[in-house]
Amino acid sequence: MWRYVLRRLVQAVVVLWAAYTVTFLVLDLLPGDPVSTLAGAGADSQGIDPAQIARLKHQYGFDQPVLVRYFHYLTKALRGDFGVSVSTNRPVSSVMLDALPPTLALTGLGLAIGIAFGGAIALLATYTNQRWLRQALLSLPSLGVSVPGFWVGLMLVQLFSFRIRLFPAFGNDGLRGLILPAVTLAVLPGAMIAQILAKSLLTALAEPYAQTAQAKGAGRARVHLRHALRNAVLPALTITGVLTGQLMANAVVIETVFSRNGLGRITAAAVTAQDIPVVQGVVVFGAFVFITVNLVIDLVYPLLDPRIAVGSGGRGPSRRRSGTVDTPAGGGALTTPAVEPAAGSAL
Amino acid sequence: MTRPTTAVGAIRAAEGAGAAEGAGAAEAAGAAEAAGAAGAAEVVGAWREPATARRRVDLPRLGRFLLHRPGLVLAVIVVVLVVLAAFWPALYTSRDPLLGVPARRFEGPSGQHWFGTDELGRDVFARVVHGAALSLKATIIAVAVAFVIGGGLGLVAGFVGRWVEDVIMRVVDVLLSIPGLFMSLALVTALGYGTVKVAIAVGIASVASFARVMRAEVLKVRQATYVEAARSIGARWYSVLGRHVLPNAMGSVLVLATLDFGVSVLAVSALSFLGYGAAPPAPEWGTLISSGRNYLANAWWLTTLPGLTVVATVLSTNRIARALDGEWATQR
Amino acid sequence: MNRSRQFAPARWAVAVAALAVGSTLLSACGSDGSSADGGPASAAARPGNTLTFAVGSDVGCVDPQQVGSNDSVYSTRQIVDSLTDQDPDTGKIVPWLAQSWEISADAKAFTFHLKPGVTFSDGTPLTAQVVKDNFEAIPKLGALAQLGAGYLGGYAGGKVIDDQTIEIDFQQSNAQFLQATSTFSLGIVSAASVQKTPQERCGDGVIGSGPFVLSKYVPSQSISLRKRTGYAWGSSLFAKSGDAYLDALEFKVVPEAGVRTSSLQSGQVDAIGAVAQADEAALEGSGAQLQARANPGVPFGLSFNNAKAPFTDPNVRKAIGLAINRQQIVDTVFPTGTKPATSILSHTTPSYVDLSASLAFDKAKAGSLLDAAGWRLGADGIRRKDGAPLSLTITWFANAATNQPALELVQQQLKAVGVQVELKQLQIAQITQILTGGDFDVLWGNLTRADPDILRSQYSTKGLNTYKIPATELDTVLAQQAAEPDATKRAALVERAQRLVVDNAYVTPVVELETELGVGKNVHDLKFEASTRVQLHDTWKS
Repeated sequence: MWRYVLRRLVQAVVVLWAAYTVTFLVLDLLPGDPVSTLAGAGADSQGIDPAQIARLKHQYGFDQPVLVRYFHYLTKALRGDFGVSVSTNRPVSSVMLDALPPTLALTGLGLAIGIAFGGAIALLATYTNQRWLRQALLSLPSLGVSVPGFWVGLMLVQLFSFRIRLFPAFGNDGLRGLILPAVTLAVLPGAMIAQILAKSLLTALAEPYAQTAQAKGAGRARVHLRHALRNAVLPALTITGVLTGQLMANAVVIETVFSRNGLGRITAAAVTAQDIPVVQGVVVFGAFVFITVNLVIDLVYPLLDPRIAVGSGGRGPSRRRSGTVDTPAGGGALTTPAVEPAAGSAL
Repeated sequence: MTRPTTAVGAIRAAEGAGAAEGAGAAEAAGAAEAAGAAGAAEVVGAWREPATARRRVDLPRLGRFLLHRPGLVLAVIVVVLVVLAAFWPALYTSRDPLLGVPARRFEGPSGQHWFGTDELGRDVFARVVHGAALSLKATIIAVAVAFVIGGGLGLVAGFVGRWVEDVIMRVVDVLLSIPGLFMSLALVTALGYGTVKVAIAVGIASVASFARVMRAEVLKVRQATYVEAARSIGARWYSVLGRHVLPNAMGSVLVLATLDFGVSVLAVSALSFLGYGAAPPAPEWGTLISSGRNYLANAWWLTTLPGLTVVATVLSTNRIARALDGEWATQR
Repeated sequence: MNRSRQFAPARWAVAVAALAVGSTLLSACGSDGSSADGGPASAAARPGNTLTFAVGSDVGCVDPQQVGSNDSVYSTRQIVDSLTDQDPDTGKIVPWLAQSWEISADAKAFTFHLKPGVTFSDGTPLTAQVVKDNFEAIPKLGALAQLGAGYLGGYAGGKVIDDQTIEIDFQQSNAQFLQATSTFSLGIVSAASVQKTPQERCGDGVIGSGPFVLSKYVPSQSISLRKRTGYAWGSSLFAKSGDAYLDALEFKVVPEAGVRTSSLQSGQVDAIGAVAQADEAALEGSGAQLQARANPGVPFGLSFNNAKAPFTDPNVRKAIGLAINRQQIVDTVFPTGTKPATSILSHTTPSYVDLSASLAFDKAKAGSLLDAAGWRLGADGIRRKDGAPLSLTITWFANAATNQPALELVQQQLKAVGVQVELKQLQIAQITQILTGGDFDVLWGNLTRADPDILRSQYSTKGLNTYKIPATELDTVLAQQAAEPDATKRAALVERAQRLVVDNAYVTPVVELETELGVGKNVHDLKFEASTRVQLHDTWKS
């Protein structure tokens, strides 16, 4: 067991390193360097003098070959030092740390709302006997994955801030300011959780043990909640892990719409200003969160589902192989109804 | 939101995971995983197997199929309308999307201006119609980039196998660990602004999904009996690839491409909403919504109606993808 | 209006910075006065409360010596005091940190007597040496500090006469320097802040002696200030002596005009910058006050790259000017009260002359000029000459919400005479590159300044000559007006310069800048200072 944990940890670190490298390569494609952009051409008379530009270039390593720069930055990154933001001149790590709490609050609440609504929709849709209700509920997730998040945000602002003055249209002021953005952010995870959960619930309800339980006289609700849900919740857990990376990324758009402070808005500003150290820091942080959450889920998965035994030979649970999620369809996925549980006939 | 790519993939992952569990395999790494995946695939629907046998269109069946699915019919209609708008905008409107009557600015939707007019008195409907060309172009580029690069990588990985496969798939794993939108943003930072650059950034973020699906399909087909047979009678590798592997593996990848289409519409519009897309006054959909934000307080239609257009387009392509994927095959 | 003099040997630098900022830089005054206050004076002013002010943008810097954009000046102005202040109503320069001053007859030496007992918020005292250090550091701040650097052009040295007395010397007459000392660009920061690098000052802010102190800056999101207690050296224009009324100021960056408007209506914020024309009625309807004031200086306009074909042809430049319907642009896009440009200086600038006859809209004449220049209308509605289309790219910066719609209208209007226009939006960070590199067809921008010497910094070929204007009589006239001590004679020279620029159509002025703020009902005494920025020391909330 411990060998397995250790192996997964090493894998996670390797993937994180590789993610850093990929990001570095992508951003190094940039023609020119941010120092020149920042200083403009002011160097010729009265802008920043050439010596200062040279110093800045040196500071950022732009006078070095790519490989030297890469290892220089990598060593620093290992110590948690992602360099200095070109546009604000503050250490990237402190820029990100400052911006993290509001984003965590936003994504945390967004995920919670998503789970609550997604779960409720799935349970209700699979529980109800009303065909129209089931169809209506099951079509919600399809809608949820098809709307642009920023547009949902703007519609909510329109309605709840402009027409009915219920919530503020922007800002970080307390819980009231958090509601609209969190609801906006919750649309996607809610829809996906509802899809997965509804599908697994239906599968579980069709299993012999559920049928048996019902035959033995267990109430429908009891079978639903006690038996089916317990089995159905695992795929939903997996998707929740996958969604964390997604949520952080979507915060870029949502925080922009609501003019909220946070990591997302910093990212958008950094992209606009071509502030490479910040963009790199954020992307690597996104990968870090994603990898960590999925590692944790991987590790607790066997505890939740006794059917998955951790091989003594150091092999992991069957469902995945590397530190990352076996996402896009290790194969079978595709042939299942694509994004949405088919509203109607497929269910 | 912005990047359902990996999310869509994720659903599949979760489902795939479930299926694999069901199969109960404590499979080893590498090929065993592929076998498991293939097994899972068969559980759900083996419809695609010798695909060549299904080329003939069964019209009555198609009619029945559509009749029971008014939503699907509607989806097809929407997509056709959008494609027409992209290529022949004059079919819908004769108004100039860039030329307005300033004195008639901020008029709400009416018989004359279906989507109202904007801050310079331009017809918003004309702008949305003409914007379809830009948005569709970006989306097609994005899907093509993902399809060609991702599909190519997956094909090589699946067909060549061995260490090549290991290397490619490890890289794909890494790409998957970076949230799609972050990846696109990093690429936009590096490449700069513009419709095409945004499209490429979006496409590259989806490469990993295509590589995975393509590889899995190739592995599945490769091990099928008829392919084994072809090889055993001495067929060249390229002929096996071209005649058997590719045509059969393509089905799933095309379904993914359809799905990715909706995903890319959303991703492209999100990036242009953030201001990284087409320069004004080009009426790219995300840009339209974004520029309407300044007038949220006095002109709701500037954001609402272009947004509804995006929603209708994405809903429709997703619905079609679903039909292509499972329903058509399972319907008897 | 007032005028002011700011001046300065304007260096090209000023021009650069200025354009950069698009919306206004310095300035002076307004047309109608001033103090827009908020409410009946009968209610008793009381201390306390936090004022929340929504602005549209953030240039990424909280050093008053390095910013020029209105949205950033609103907040950073509160952090520093200046040597002098300027009365927005009369334009008179009055004491602030300097209780008195002398100017030599040739306007080359300025001696300031500092108020005793002034301290910076880090506890260090204001001394003559600190002032000298400030003025010597400003020109070295680099790209962003070019306003201040411009005012200090020709700086020959500072003499510390005693702790409270400083003499500033210039190589040539610099009559506008006194007014320049009243601007935020020459606001005084502490010795510790002077030592920092420009980037550190931008990101961390500076220590000033002002009525408010920076407490937190989150780039492109918010700027928080709190009251400085024990503040006792306010400008002689301040109504209240001692500390400010407000406990704290929160400047929030809210890019969408509609969201700013709705937030003011719902009371989430107390004041907003850059009110959009479309929102005026709604704001007035909800009881908010609108405060507007015109900015002096160079109006928004199209500045040609005069060395690049086809702009080397004066007929093409003139035709473009004639094809622009300024009134339509003003009516469609800009706040009520905004005036179309009637000269290369806005009507609130001293020595402005009305040249509207030369800047009228005349589409037919534009067409015939282009025909005469050999640009013939093609079947696609675009003019061509020797097969090449008449096409130009307007480069602009997104620092005001009105830029994009205004330029889209310009685009439409030029299309109507067969000129194809592309709009290219750049980030502010790229501006110096563009201005010094000359890689553009046409630039869109303005420059707020209350002295006509701005013309020299913009259009003299002796400076940066961003617009690649050929050397002509204009250079001589601009040099003469800068050295001319007699106001009447100088005005004549300035008039001549305006005519030369307009008649040669080196640039096409389009619209004057009018700053419009929305202020909540419960906010009182929110005043424009002389440069149309706000001074919040006397402001209070009920």
